[in-house]
Amino acid sequence: MFARAWAKAVAGTSYLPMTHAQLETLLQRLTNLLAEALRAEPLDLRVGHRVADELVAAHIASAEALGRTVEVIQLRLVRDLDLVADDIEDRMARLLGAVATGYARALRDRTLDEQESIRRAAMTAQAEAEQALRASEARFRHQATHDPLTDLPNRTLFAERLAAAVDGSAGSGRRVGLCFLDLDRFKRVNDSFGHQIGDRALVAAARRLRRAVEPHLVARLGGDAFVVLVERSTGTGDVVAVAEAALAALSEPVVVDGHDVTVTASVGIVERRVAGTSPDDLMRAAGSTLHWAKSAGGAGWALYDAERDGREQARQELSAAIPAGLERGEFFLDYQPLTSLHDGSLLGVEALVRWRHPRLGVLRPDSFIGLAEETGLIVQLGGWVLAEACREAVGWTSASGQPPYVSVNLAVRQVRRPGLVQEVRALLRRTGLPPNRLQLEITESTMMTTSEEPVRALRALADLGIRIAIDDFGTGYSNLAYLRDLPVTELKVAGEFVRGLRAPEARADERILASLVSLAHALDLTVTAEGVETGGQAERLRAIGCDAGQGWHFGRPAPPDHILARIR
Amino acid sequence: MASLAKAGQNTRRGGVAPRVCEGVRSLQRPDWAPETIDVERPSVARMYDYYLGGSHNFAVDRAAARAMVAAVPQAPLMAQANRAFLRRAVQFLTDAGIRQFLDIGSGIPTVGNVHEIAQRHAPDSRVVYVDVDPVAVAHSREILAGNDRTAVVQEDLRHPDRILGHPDVRAMLDFSQPVAVLVVAVLHFVADDDRPAEVLRTLRTALAPGSYLVLSQASDDGRDETERAEAEEVYRRTDNPLWVRGRAELTGFFDGFELVDPGVVWVPQWRPETPESAEDAERAVFLGGVGRLGG
Repeated sequence: MFARAWAKAVAGTSYLPMTHAQLETLLQRLTNLLAEALRAEPLDLRVGHRVADELVAAHIASAEALGRTVEVIQLRLVRDLDLVADDIEDRMARLLGAVATGYARALRDRTLDEQESIRRAAMTAQAEAEQALRASEARFRHQATHDPLTDLPNRTLFAERLAAAVDGSAGSGRRVGLCFLDLDRFKRVNDSFGHQIGDRALVAAARRLRRAVEPHLVARLGGDAFVVLVERSTGTGDVVAVAEAALAALSEPVVVDGHDVTVTASVGIVERRVAGTSPDDLMRAAGSTLHWAKSAGGAGWALYDAERDGREQARQELSAAIPAGLERGEFFLDYQPLTSLHDGSLLGVEALVRWRHPRLGVLRPDSFIGLAEETGLIVQLGGWVLAEACREAVGWTSASGQPPYVSVNLAVRQVRRPGLVQEVRALLRRTGLPPNRLQLEITESTMMTTSEEPVRALRALADLGIRIAIDDFGTGYSNLAYLRDLPVTELKVAGEFVRGLRAPEARADERILASLVSLAHALDLTVTAEGVETGGQAERLRAIGCDAGQGWHFGRPAPPDHILARIR
Repeated sequence: MASLAKAGQNTRRGGVAPRVCEGVRSLQRPDWAPETIDVERPSVARMYDYYLGGSHNFAVDRAAARAMVAAVPQAPLMAQANRAFLRRAVQFLTDAGIRQFLDIGSGIPTVGNVHEIAQRHAPDSRVVYVDVDPVAVAHSREILAGNDRTAVVQEDLRHPDRILGHPDVRAMLDFSQPVAVLVVAVLHFVADDDRPAEVLRTLRTALAPGSYLVLSQASDDGRDETERAEAEEVYRRTDNPLWVRGRAELTGFFDGFELVDPGVVWVPQWRPETPESAEDAERAVFLGGVGRLGG
């Protein structure tokens, strides 16, 4: 009866996670406790506290629930339960006081607990979010700084680490090293096995490298190029050891999909003091050194050599300046006489190119022709020399008959280039130089080709009436077969045979020369000896039957007006 | 659980993703980018706790909740009625033999959580709580520590595929057996643009015959226009604006399910324990219902 009224009073004051029947059952039990307490002697106020605790624990826990509980107990408990005692009002007041006190205390504790728990949850969530953020940032950073194929650090991370290694406490004598590593002919692996297997071989190579050079940083720069950073090196030996470990790790074949994939690598090593260098310097030096290792045949390492690098860099710069030099007219020709050994007359002149370099002064061909040949600029430069020689030669007139022919060197690349014949024909037409006043000098190696094309071109040029000379004869393969097949007019015998003529006891050179001359004459070729420096040499050559001579004895290379002076 | 304020769906604020991804990924937040925690914004989960008389809330939550009560004085009553609906629905499901529960938008675990109700009657009941609010999730984990028949997953109702595919969900629930999916007092935080019907269809297709769907959400049926506008204004301050819907629309969400008696009703009218408790039912503002997957 009372419990039902109590339940009705507190229902709806807050959410109760129970059915109405369960609520009535609970409140009936609490009613019994209260009634017992009111009857008992002495009055136990702890019962009031206990009832309050139970109410709050059952989530009958709101200010409204307390108010209604006090109200309903005060109004109905004594009456409904027929409680009789002299001091019942007094006892009820004290018990209700205990209930209210206990309730307020329990509610406050509950509030504090809940506040604490929600704050803890917020802190946990915050910490988790921060951790997740760090994890995702770390993950993103990993993606941004690693190569997706091999999972090695990429160029970005490597650049950061290198910059940090070079930066920092410079001047403290700290040293740093780089191994720039490139797999040799890796394209062939891709070509023969396909890119998928190529990629897996790269992954395997990367794994081995990483293990071999630990704890040093190894990064993939792209393709099949890797770089190892050796921080705090104590000397070249440290870095060479790393390079050798790397090469050893790669030397075992990788088995991918049942294929034995063998790769070798080349390594360029740079090791130096941190002070005074920069990441760019180091990388450039390592790159050049790698190139040396590659051109030495691969499968090995090369160590940076500042002197060699300096030379190469100078050559590089020089080579890069050739096109601009041509455009600015910095090249010019000198001519060296080709003199008859029979009567001392001037038969021809060899055109020799010079470069009036704005900074380095006049350069002789040996300082730039090799470069031009490597880079292919020789085609442009050689074309200019040929045209210039024809242009100048056409104006030479001789007081005594035939003016001298002009002999121009043709590089391999020029001979192999399609269109050479048309070019020369057009040049002769343009300048008006008679074909028999042009001689083209080719080297023996030019003919060392399986291709028919150069031979056909030379034949066409010879058919025009142009003289064809083999330059430096006797120093190359001296293949006699092509002398039979080619329309050659003349052999120019290398200067080293002539030099031997200086020593009276060196009879071998003289015999070789004599044989060459008689061979040439048997084939209807003339012979010009190069490098004639003395009258004695000239005399012997004449005695042997050599047709012409070239060298200081007959005249050094000189500007065209000197030539003109000689023939007038 | 819930009234107008449960653990809701955090709206798609750019959050951390654009900063972290800076032009590397698409604009979409990658899976691994974390949520941000902003306790300076009211949380619908903690506001709901306040309506229920709890103290799992901060000053910002209480301020927002009081503003809501000023606009809609019966808000606490709505929360209580909805919570009571949840209790009766879980009781009904337990009696019907359901032992697996997926409570999406579970919010702050105050009193009368699903596992308490279910496990009291059937101790082998397994419950997975899903909420998008990281604080609610952290709190749930603390409360549920040691209960090995429950799991808590932080996920968004709008991504039902992620919920269904979550390893913790898969580990706890066997989808070859009936599962009760509870989407209680949370759909009103899902905008029409987020296609609530499609979300529910995705959930449905994962369920075995004999499974159940429990839905409730705030309704504007018969509501005063001013009151609704004010309530919406309050919730605009949270991460979860309010989308009230009518009875027809809510009934439509049960597509594919057979509605259990008495269908979609004001929540106090759903299988009341006493006739009096269903009086003035429309004051509860929430419509709710339970559907069973046949076949």
